[in-house]
Amino acid sequence: MKNIFILLCFVLFTGQLAFAQMPHDAIYMNKKLACGAFVYGNSSWTHYWENRLYRDNPNIGQLSTESMTAMIAYGITKKLNVIAMVPFVRTNASQGNLMGQKGFQDASIWLKAKGYSSHGLTLHGVLGVVSPISDYVPDFMPMSIGIGSKSFVARGMLSYDLAKNVYMNSSIAYQMRSHVTADRDAYLSGDRMYQTSQVAVPDAFDAAVRVGYLKKDNQLELFAEHFSCVGGDHIRRNDMPFMTNDMTMTSLGMYGKYQPKKIGINARAAYVVSGENVGQSLSLSIGLLYQFKL
Amino acid sequence: MKFIYTIILLSILTACSKDLDIAVDQPYTPASLDLGAGSWKTFILASADEIPLVVPRLITDASYLNEIDSLKKNVIPKVTNIQKEAIQYWGAGAVLRWNEIGRELAARYNQAPAANAAGIYPVPNAADPLADPRYPFANPPYTARALAYLSIAQYDALVSAWKYKLQYKRKAPYVVDATIKPLLPVSDLPAYPSEDAVVAQASFTILLAMFPGEGPFLTQKLNEAKNIRLWAGMNVGSDIRAGADLGGAVAAKVMVRAKSDGMSASNNQAIVPDLIAHAKSLGFITPWVSQEIPMRPPMLPNYGQVKPINMDRAALISIRPGIPYLEGSVEFKKDLAELEAINKNQTRAQAATANYWADGPGSYTPPGHWHRYACKSGLEAKYSEVRMARMLAYVGSALMDAGIACWETKYFYFSPRPQQFNLKTSVGLPNFPSYTSGHSTFSFAAATVLGSFFPEKLSLFNSYAQEASDSRVFGMIHFRVDCTMGAKHGKEIGTFAVKRSQVDGAQ
Repeated sequence: MKNIFILLCFVLFTGQLAFAQMPHDAIYMNKKLACGAFVYGNSSWTHYWENRLYRDNPNIGQLSTESMTAMIAYGITKKLNVIAMVPFVRTNASQGNLMGQKGFQDASIWLKAKGYSSHGLTLHGVLGVVSPISDYVPDFMPMSIGIGSKSFVARGMLSYDLAKNVYMNSSIAYQMRSHVTADRDAYLSGDRMYQTSQVAVPDAFDAAVRVGYLKKDNQLELFAEHFSCVGGDHIRRNDMPFMTNDMTMTSLGMYGKYQPKKIGINARAAYVVSGENVGQSLSLSIGLLYQFKL
Repeated sequence: MKFIYTIILLSILTACSKDLDIAVDQPYTPASLDLGAGSWKTFILASADEIPLVVPRLITDASYLNEIDSLKKNVIPKVTNIQKEAIQYWGAGAVLRWNEIGRELAARYNQAPAANAAGIYPVPNAADPLADPRYPFANPPYTARALAYLSIAQYDALVSAWKYKLQYKRKAPYVVDATIKPLLPVSDLPAYPSEDAVVAQASFTILLAMFPGEGPFLTQKLNEAKNIRLWAGMNVGSDIRAGADLGGAVAAKVMVRAKSDGMSASNNQAIVPDLIAHAKSLGFITPWVSQEIPMRPPMLPNYGQVKPINMDRAALISIRPGIPYLEGSVEFKKDLAELEAINKNQTRAQAATANYWADGPGSYTPPGHWHRYACKSGLEAKYSEVRMARMLAYVGSALMDAGIACWETKYFYFSPRPQQFNLKTSVGLPNFPSYTSGHSTFSFAAATVLGSFFPEKLSLFNSYAQEASDSRVFGMIHFRVDCTMGAKHGKEIGTFAVKRSQVDGAQ
């Protein structure tokens, strides 16, 4: 559930891994300038919400998801950036006998454009496409590395320059998610038996508020994020999660970037403070950045 | 840029459609009405007319004509679109739909209890079925047995219904009155008693006994299944009432058998120490031990003592597979090495097969999977209701016997799981001894019976069964010998059902 979920949410849909220019921030690369990055992420939980029941599971122990993501952001113009990322993901349970999974997960590509601007307020629009790039198993949650869905994400963002170098940024996105073909040919969703391998993954919303300090290429930010599916069912009592689940979570976190010259680093931490049908993850990541002309 | 926009557009198009592409079974005219089915041999009933049925009124009788009149004036003209959808749904076959309902309930109840705060796994309580943990835990043996009695009750009740249909030969409303336009395919099958009502009441009775918390759900299905026959102009009320009386009475007889088959003692944990001692005496160095945290008591250790359907106890014992390879032997090491290689480098194809056949928690279990295949084959062959029920009764009883004989074997040897030798699993580990593989036994028993009903598909069914069997090795929860011996055992169990079917008068 959980880990994947964190990944889906953080890495892909909202593009939340630590990076220089991300699909959810208001920072743009200058024309013909590119920034590449390698980001290592580790997300783990010991407790999760089975529907609304907060519990642990000694047959899983701590579930951890490690990821290594290659990213690039490029300035088509000063106001139009393209961002792409490819993650490799590995899962592991510290107890029990469920086999960890690994593989390339979901690649994504994003277009971010700066729009109307007035009195320190700026509107931005972001469009993204997310698609699995390997044939990983989607229906072995929580060990699966991803949910297997292709998605299209549309994000609206409002950024505001509060004072010198201090900004605030809020965004909301809708994620259209495609059906997934599971390995099995029947499954329950809610109380109903579906006799097909096609699984309808619910669409999702996410929203975030960020407050930060940005000077040149150095940045420190605090954020709150919320993710919620549009419909879906709940994890049944003592059952495993499934792609149809109505996952909800709210997390708090911080992000920092230090980039004195071409080479920089960044780091991010986020913690799920409440949720349903997800793990209470602590997600940490650290990245190496490199800026260059293209 | 064009490329990017194209990708985005394509993605929008593919992501937008939220309807699932699910095959919908349609009403059909059976290939044969099987008018001689009233003389087929039943499973539980001593004879087709063991349950007496009220003699129907003649179609010239005023009370019957009133029923026709009411159908024409009060029922058919008021049929709504939602009711028409229900007619189409049930029209695909009462036996089929109740089998699906049984499978859906099995899936909903197929969940092992969670441990409580004290680390104890509470036992589901039939008297309080909706409390946590819900009753029943519809694991594979439970589901195999529930679906077997469901199919047997449907079959016996339909044989009886066919007998009375041909005895009384009461015509369908649309034959009696040509102004009634039926909404389902018509036939010359007499209408009294209604076969749909027979199946509905029989199925309701069995499923309510098996899933006692589902009264409201099952009552809604029961009422709908009966009413659609009126809405569609296929039966009058007295056809339905007679069918319901007959179906309910036959199912009650089947439940007498079910209640005395030994199931109530199947979870007797007191015998476990003796079973372990027995395994050690056979030479097992590491008998089975639960791999769950906290350790969970083994599932249904005494289920092997349940009374089988198609064989007696002596026959069941006589076909028990021999002792598997013991730890330390060359053969054991070879089987273990096969699993270790998969553990190290499972292919995607192996994972897919393991997942496809996993039929684990939250599923209708392998017996449910095979009932589904059986239904599909019966539909493709355009079986009549009674022939569909007959085929499912043999498939279902073979699956139930497979569960009993496999569990008897499992607890006779109490052999260890691969996970006791440091292997992981990609499908989840069932909480009972390893040898023999339930999937292999269930699948080959069902494939053997299905192959006798549909000889042209024998090799297909056997290939499915082999996949199901292999899937447990690919998922790393069974040694190869568990599967090969389970498969052989399953074929033998299926043969008992096949032999029975060859002398029931339906061939």
